[in-house]
Parts: sequence; structure tokens; C-alpha cells
Amino acid sequence: MRNILRQSNADLLCDIDRLGERLRQAATAVPPELMPFYEWVTNQCDAFREAVKEHLHYLDLNQASILPDVLSKTQVVTRNLHLFNRFLVSPVLRGCPSDRLCLRVLQWLHGAHPQTQHIPAAISDGDYATFPDPPNPTIYFMPPSAQHRLLYLPLFFHEYGHLLYACHRPEMDALVRNLQGVLVQFLEPSVQRDDRHAPHDQERRSTIVETWYEWTVELFCDAVGLVIGGAAFIHSFSMYFRMLGRDEFQVRAEALEHRGHPVTWLRIQLLVDRARRMNLHDAAQGAEVSWNTIAEEMKVNEDYFGFYEAEFLTAIQQTIDDMLTEAEPRHFDEQAVEDSEASTSSPVPLLNRAWREFFKDVQKYSEWEESVISAYLAEQR
Amino acid sequence: MSIRWLAVRSFQHSQDLLAAINTLSIHLKLQAAGRTDSEHTAQANQAREVLRSFLKMLEPVITDAERGETKPVLGADPRLRQLAKSFITAKRNCHRFHSALFRDTFTRVQQLLGSPKEQDRKPLLECLAELRVLIEEHVHTDAEQVLGEF
Repeated sequence: MRNILRQSNADLLCDIDRLGERLRQAATAVPPELMPFYEWVTNQCDAFREAVKEHLHYLDLNQASILPDVLSKTQVVTRNLHLFNRFLVSPVLRGCPSDRLCLRVLQWLHGAHPQTQHIPAAISDGDYATFPDPPNPTIYFMPPSAQHRLLYLPLFFHEYGHLLYACHRPEMDALVRNLQGVLVQFLEPSVQRDDRHAPHDQERRSTIVETWYEWTVELFCDAVGLVIGGAAFIHSFSMYFRMLGRDEFQVRAEALEHRGHPVTWLRIQLLVDRARRMNLHDAAQGAEVSWNTIAEEMKVNEDYFGFYEAEFLTAIQQTIDDMLTEAEPRHFDEQAVEDSEASTSSPVPLLNRAWREFFKDVQKYSEWEESVISAYLAEQR
Repeated sequence: MSIRWLAVRSFQHSQDLLAAINTLSIHLKLQAAGRTDSEHTAQANQAREVLRSFLKMLEPVITDAERGETKPVLGADPRLRQLAKSFITAKRNCHRFHSALFRDTFTRVQQLLGSPKEQDRKPLLECLAELRVLIEEHVHTDAEQVLGEF
């Protein structure tokens, strides 16, 4: 076993050294906005090297009793290195100058909150997603087609919500637990059955309540997006999802069980409700009307098969309000949006202006967008 | 919008737990062998803290899960719910799992974690070895989801 472990650790060391070389070669092309992430990646590479050297030191002690531990340690580093290779190195190695737009927005986003200002951020290609693991860097995934445009950048604000959740996890989990307790009460039948269907019904109620853990996290992230981005967020969200098909409006009852996200139509309705409370009436109206129109055209009826009832709304929104109080995301500043020409520190006015320009004249929008992105990046140098 | 973050979070948490288990286990074994391992004492204490927090987080989830299949587990993500269910299954398997972790209370395990007594070293090492098995089985599912299959 000792020899097997020596070989595997020596191999890991070679792997780590080669990776270190590639990272050093990439250093000159790293944009300034990615430097904090780059430094973390190179430090992490050094940490892997030290860990492997420690394994080799333990093997030199000739203590048979610790071999199972050194084996497990080696497996942990091997898996971590796989994750590192798969997701964490590519934002550096695939990096290009055009990443600066996204990185600028992410840099502002992390810098705008005391709990995330020291957490580096990076982008990678993929469907919208994030890997929040504070205090380690956060990787944001975005489809390549959206990375060089303004309209879908507000969707980063939803993903950032996952990071805020992770920063406050014990408190957030406690709030979700309270909401689930309320839902248990709502779902409790007024008359208890005592027939052969009773256990099945009880299991179904249990599934609904457990599913609301993931749903509450996602609704919180939607609310974070709206609070930070204002109208721009609801426009991005609505536009991104509304042409993805029938499943965005209605999902089969069985498919709702332990589904990672609530049905998008429900998310839209909760966003519309919150947007109205934030006095974003036009954006709320726009999203509501477009989703209702598409649903009508497709002859889809609103039905969540017991996973959501109108009576849940107050408890859900109250929980999300409490979660927002806990996380304190930077609030959308309407005045800054009005003064968008003068404001340069926050991208939010620019993102809201982008949507106004888009709705004003779709044909001329692309040309306008290209010129303002160049100006925005030039200003930020 | 992907929910892979759940698997990644669970994967990283499991990896951190395994690192803590291994660090503490090596420290205790070298101590038992009379090899002073003073340079790793701080790391071993940190590992104890990681494990204490984990047990504190897991205990209420297991309490919920032990109420039965038809009662919901509250305030826990799907992977943590699954881990709690795996823990309960392990408790029922006395051939495979017989350490204090599965046969005694969490309070007892917390005591073992903080105990400087020599006679507590062996039962603590048994707990660590069996917790490692449980977490290794759990991380396998996350690793498949996060890293894919080869």
C-alpha cells in the first residue's frame, strides 16, 4: 500500500507542477479584473503541492496504522484537483480581453457588499449557474452569447444571491425551516383520513414541504436579483425564460417533486408582486402581461398541483423579506438610474438604460449597445 | 439556471469533512505511537472544530429524519437530507457500523472529540473511521454529478 501511495502522490506532484507552469505562462494575458482570482488559483496550486509533500512525509514515517488515513487524504486531494482542473483553472486559461465586461460587473457586485468584497470572482462558459463556497472564489457560469451583451448581465444578480445565502447559511436555513413549518400547517387536512390512502397523502405533503427548501432558496435569489438590479432584472429574467417552452408555465405533478426550481411562471408572479411593492409598476406590468399572453396563446392553465396555493403567498414573501434583511444585498437606487449618464461606479444604471433603449428601438439597439460597452470599459480602466 | 451548486456545495463540504477526519486520525495515531506531532496539533484542533460544527448541524436533521418517511425533514437541502437518511440506515446496520457514533448519543461523541484522556482515543478513532466510510459513500454521488463519470 505504501508503494501505491508513493506512486500516486508522485504522479499528483507532476500534475500539479505542470499545471503551475501553465498558470505562470497564462499570467501575462490575465485581465486586471481577474487578478484576485488568478492569485487564489496559484496559491491553491501551491497548497495542493504542500499537501502532497505532507503525504509523502507521512509515508516516510513507516507507520502502518496511518496508511488508511494517507490513502483517504490522497483521494481527497485527487478529487479536489479534478474539480480544480474541471472548473477553477479554465477561467484563467480560457480568459480573453472580452471577459472584462462580465468581470467588471462581478467585481462591482462583490465589492458592493462587506461580506463578499474579499471573495474573488471569475466567469466561465455554461448555462447560468454559480459555485458559491465562501471564502473561496465564486465562479459564475454564463452562456457565451450573453457574455458580450448588457441585457442578460442582471441574471448574475440572481446567482450572487446563492453566494449571499451561503454566507448566511445557518440563519437562512432556520428561516426556511420556519416557512416549511408554516406550510406543514397549511397542508394539514381539516379532517384526518384513516384509510389506505392516508400514508400516501401524508408522504405527498411531506414531499411538497421538503421541495420548498430548494424553492425558497431560488425565490430568495430572484428577490436578490430584483433588489440589486431593479427593473433590469425582471426584464432579463422574463425575456430569458419566456420562450423556453411549455415547461416554464406548467410542470407535471410528478416532475414537481424535489424539483430544483419552482415553475418559472410562479417565479414571475412572485417577482411581479415584489416589483409592485418596490414601485417598479411598469416593469411588473410588462412581465405579467407578456407571460399571461403567452400562456393564453398556448392554452396553458395555471396549476401547481398543490405545491403552491394562493394562501402560501404572504408567508413566502414574509420569509423572503426576512432573508433579505439578513443578507442585506445592495439596494437598487432609482435615483442613480435617473442620473445614469453621470454614474460610473455601479453598472446597474447602465443595465437599466440598456433595457429602456432596447424597448425604445429594437433595431438600433445592437449598435447602441456596442458603443456603450466600449465607453463603459474605457471609463473603468 | 442550473442547480449543480447543491451538488458542488455538498461535494466540497464532504471533502472538508474528510480532510478533518484524516488530519485528526493521523494526529491521534501518531500520538498513540509516541511520535510527537506538535507541528500538526493546531491543525488537529481545527479539525475537531470542523467535526463539532458538523455534528451540531447534523443532529437536528437526523432527529427530523428519524420521525419517519412520511414526515418532512425541515431546513435542510436534499443532499444533507440524504446524508441524514444514510446515517439512520447505518445505525440499523450493526455489523458494519458499531462505533459510538452510531451506538451512542451525539453528546457522547462530542465529549470524545474534546477529551484529552488516553482511554477515549480508541473509541474516537473508531468513530472517525466509520464517519469516513459514511462520508466517502456520500461524496461519491456528488462527485459523479459534479465531475461526471469517466
